[in-house]
Amino acid sequence: MMSTQFPWLTVLFLFPLLAVLPIPFLPDKEGKTVRSYALGAGLLEFALIIYAFWKDYDLQSSGFQLVESYAWVPQIGLNWSLAVDGLSMPLVLLTGLITTLAILASWKISHKPRLFYALMLVMYSAQIGVFVAQDILMFFFMWELELVPVYLLIATWGGDRRLYAATKFILYTAVGSVFILIAGLAMAFYGDTLTLNLHELGLKDYSLGFEVLMYAAFLVAFGVKLPIFPLHTWLPDAHSEAPAPVSMILAGVMLKMAGYALIRFNIELLPNAHLYFAPVLAILGVVNIIYASLTAFAQTNLKRRLAYSSIAHMGFVLIGIASFTELGVGGAVLQMVSHGLIAATLFFLTGVAYERTHTLAMDRMGGMAKQMPTVFALFTAGSLASLALPGMSGFVGELTIFLGITTSDAYSTSFKAVVVLLAAVGVILSPIYLLSMLRQVFYGEENVELKFSLSDAKPREAFIALCLLVPIIGIGIYPKLVTQTYDVKTTQVAAQARTALPLIAERPIHFTQPHFVAPSVIGAEAKELVSSVLD
Amino acid sequence: MTQFLLQTIWWVPGYALLGAILTLPWSTGIVRRTGPRPAAYFNLFLTVLSFIHGSAAFILIWGQEPQQLVFHWLQAADLDLTLTLEISPVSLGAMEIVTAISLLAQLFALGYMEKDWALARFYSMMGFFEAALLAIALSDSLLLSYGLLEMLTLSTYFLVGFWYAQPLVVTAARDAFLTKRVGDILLFMGLVALSSYGAGLNFSELADWSETYPLSPLTSALLGLALIAGPTGKCAQFPLNLWLDEAMEGPNPASIMRNSIVVSAGAYVLIKLQPVFTLSPISSDALIIIGSVTAIGTSLMAIAQIDIKRAISHTTSAYLGLVFIAVGLGQVDIALMLLFTHAIAKALMFMSVGSIISTVSDQNMGEMGGLWSRMPATTMAFVVGAASLVVILPLGTFWTVQRWVSGLWQVSPWLFAILLFVNATTAFGFTRVFRLVFLGEPQLKTRRAPEVAWQMALPMVTLTVMTLLSPVVPLRWSLWLSTTTPLANGDTLLIRLALPLLVLSGGVGVVLGATTQLRRGGWVRPTQVSFRFVQDLLAYDFYIERLYDLTVVSAVSVLSRVTAWFDRFIVDGFVNLVGLAAVMGGEGLKYSSSGRSQSYVLTILVGIGLLFLLAMGWTMNWSLL
Repeated sequence: MMSTQFPWLTVLFLFPLLAVLPIPFLPDKEGKTVRSYALGAGLLEFALIIYAFWKDYDLQSSGFQLVESYAWVPQIGLNWSLAVDGLSMPLVLLTGLITTLAILASWKISHKPRLFYALMLVMYSAQIGVFVAQDILMFFFMWELELVPVYLLIATWGGDRRLYAATKFILYTAVGSVFILIAGLAMAFYGDTLTLNLHELGLKDYSLGFEVLMYAAFLVAFGVKLPIFPLHTWLPDAHSEAPAPVSMILAGVMLKMAGYALIRFNIELLPNAHLYFAPVLAILGVVNIIYASLTAFAQTNLKRRLAYSSIAHMGFVLIGIASFTELGVGGAVLQMVSHGLIAATLFFLTGVAYERTHTLAMDRMGGMAKQMPTVFALFTAGSLASLALPGMSGFVGELTIFLGITTSDAYSTSFKAVVVLLAAVGVILSPIYLLSMLRQVFYGEENVELKFSLSDAKPREAFIALCLLVPIIGIGIYPKLVTQTYDVKTTQVAAQARTALPLIAERPIHFTQPHFVAPSVIGAEAKELVSSVLD
Repeated sequence: MTQFLLQTIWWVPGYALLGAILTLPWSTGIVRRTGPRPAAYFNLFLTVLSFIHGSAAFILIWGQEPQQLVFHWLQAADLDLTLTLEISPVSLGAMEIVTAISLLAQLFALGYMEKDWALARFYSMMGFFEAALLAIALSDSLLLSYGLLEMLTLSTYFLVGFWYAQPLVVTAARDAFLTKRVGDILLFMGLVALSSYGAGLNFSELADWSETYPLSPLTSALLGLALIAGPTGKCAQFPLNLWLDEAMEGPNPASIMRNSIVVSAGAYVLIKLQPVFTLSPISSDALIIIGSVTAIGTSLMAIAQIDIKRAISHTTSAYLGLVFIAVGLGQVDIALMLLFTHAIAKALMFMSVGSIISTVSDQNMGEMGGLWSRMPATTMAFVVGAASLVVILPLGTFWTVQRWVSGLWQVSPWLFAILLFVNATTAFGFTRVFRLVFLGEPQLKTRRAPEVAWQMALPMVTLTVMTLLSPVVPLRWSLWLSTTTPLANGDTLLIRLALPLLVLSGGVGVVLGATTQLRRGGWVRPTQVSFRFVQDLLAYDFYIERLYDLTVVSAVSVLSRVTAWFDRFIVDGFVNLVGLAAVMGGEGLKYSSSGRSQSYVLTILVGIGLLFLLAMGWTMNWSLL
């Protein structure tokens, strides 16, 4: 299928990748040309993203837009097929903003700058590729393409334990993505027709057992990335060892790839299995929130604390995904966008502090507010956003998720009450660890052991933080800014997820005991599973 | 013109916010040349503006029907979250008080914070604070009010943490935030629940909703309790009362606001939520119990304090406890009147206290004395404020309580007993403070104590006059909030004796306070063991803080350490073990590849032999095994 309009998405994907090519030949002695070049490429890409969506994206439509499809490897039915909808469009914008700012944030990289910026641009490209790919094999390629630069960035520019962290990261995610490949191919070959297109895969009629198995495989793959307890331990290591700009992207964009994929694959392609797994997702979400919040409080390393806080916040995304309501699914997307902005702010500011103190151990900091009032103010703003203060984006996300789960008719009242109350405990825990972080780092007397001169934020640094904080506050005060970008789409997703609900009423499964659901399904229908797999 | 002023009423909080934003160039240090003063002047000017606008609107709305302004904030599916403002005599009247007190407090701050290098930052926070308070007065939406209460929590955090390099401030700001946050989140849960029961989140719709929507007793009780929790934190009620005490580490002009109108903001929201509390006897009983415990407990704590600000601030909790009782009994008009008279008088007392602190540079009452002749205006302000709070002279609270016990409302003996107790204890405490600070011989720090400069004196004297005029309000109150006019409960003995008895209790308190033995200087603790035990018990707030340290705080930290340990050694440990096993396996196996073909042949032979034996055993000796 050839579209008549300009192939925006191909351009958006290829531009950063092609921009890498001249980097080795740039005349650059001090590493200054290359950083300007990379920043220019990032900015241009971001401008292109905005222009493309502004010109050709229709907010009122829930279907795929800017669709492109070309035969790539026709022998196996692989198509170069790209499109965006309300689910991916805000995330592509987020990617553009955060990656561009991350390039600006890595202004001080002096070790092998050419390679660094080249990898950043490759990562830029791959992330956009993940969000726009509409072919399951292509999605897998993009997903894998994204791992390579991240691995190298952590392993080359990371902290003291960078090799351990990078290896752990690559092993976890690579093992996870094997499941994407297997499940994706299994779905492609299921039935009579062979197709790799996501939309066509969604139209196939799978047996329930097969769906459950596929769902579980995807859940493991995306659960590693999101991350979901107990698959999360790569994240604190990777985030804390990565250089600050890479942490910004890891927390700001990469975790969202998993949330996006959960909605795209698990809800949209496998709605029947989603019915069985949704309560499990809600419970895992609650576990994420409470477990990670508590663990965050016990961390003494600044970045590790923020990393665990990311895990806790992604728990809300899980609850939203499990809600079966427009509000909840919309809230999940909003929470992803909002957490992307907030986590990027906090990790960036951590990097700013680290450049000056050369330590991330909070007990070795203290009293830094006196010398760095601007950083203190920005850090406070970021923390407040993270603890879901009304008027900031985190609050809107969590509010809609809470309302989404309470208004859901898929669960019993007691189950909803328990989920909401436990999630609320997490909301109380978040100020505990965030404010104690501020207290240890900024308040009180100056720590005399900090021998470095703590200069306040440079204009460039303040600018980066403000670029992230302005949308955070903007969304908090006027949420329609973002909600209108995905509203039509999430409504459709929730409606689709709910179409399967009446079916469940006829089955002898009780949602009042949701934690028994998933295991019993697998146990009871094991035969069907086996036969369907053997088919 | 009328409509214009009323329709643009939302500008009034906007002015204050604008003031806060305008100070940014100074507070961030972009403009240094002029010093921080212009920032303060901007704020003052905009507060005057909001006072004028608010007053004009207040006069215009007087006697008119309430109006509403609706903003659609978030629409998703069938949910339409709106932010509604109510323009009514009550809401504009509340706004009037906020602008007035805030204007006076900001003028006061001009003198109090004169030497502080971060004056601009202080004013930007005050502007933000004021904006949130004004918006709460106007808000008719629980969602908006919740958001604004969180803004107040935030402002408290900022203002208490203003001198962030001081050691006590560090924990005080955090504790204030966390304590209020616990209450706020519970309120938020109530909000979510209300919304899922299909209630519009507008206060004005809640009354209708609560009459028609059937809820199970348990649900309505839980709902009520959740909604109570927010104001409990905000009004510093037991068990969330300790933050107010600690918050006294912040600059005094903020304490003026906090002890008078900020705590009232929480109670104001509580009053608006009152229809929900009528759904369940448990929630209204909870209000009464919380209020009673706080009123009795904190008025006792107040009499043992050494710090002048803390001695006064504990009585704030006590009076708000009375407000809670009134709301629990459904007597919302009384609650609102109490809030009004308390706010004005308490603001005045804190101005007086602020003058003392700025002159003496100390908060320890044991090191003060003899200030009456040196600071007459301050003394006057203290006396008027104290007298207006205690039922003894016909000033503010006297008339409010007179309305309460006049027979129109149901006043049971236990409530009367609490009133007597709080009145006597507060009178005792204020007399004690008065003696310590103003009477007696001047001490080292109070010997040279001139009266404060005009920036502080002017608002203080103005507020003194306002406090003296405040009885007008309870006297002419026309019961706006009560849906039905209360009936006279007859002319019982209790009602006839109530007011005289209350005045008597105040008198007893004053006499006891005047005759009790005072200790000054460093040795303020009594030598007698039993007496010292009691004083310590009260001075340390019944050791509630230590109790929290031992229970909630330690539970959270222990739990967090347990999960961190679990995460590191079990979850991650398992992963590392797998990794280690793989590595060790590889390392171990590498020694088997020695490069000698004999050993390879041997290995192959042994392997085949084993396989053969196994196969033989499988086929032939299966039955033997």
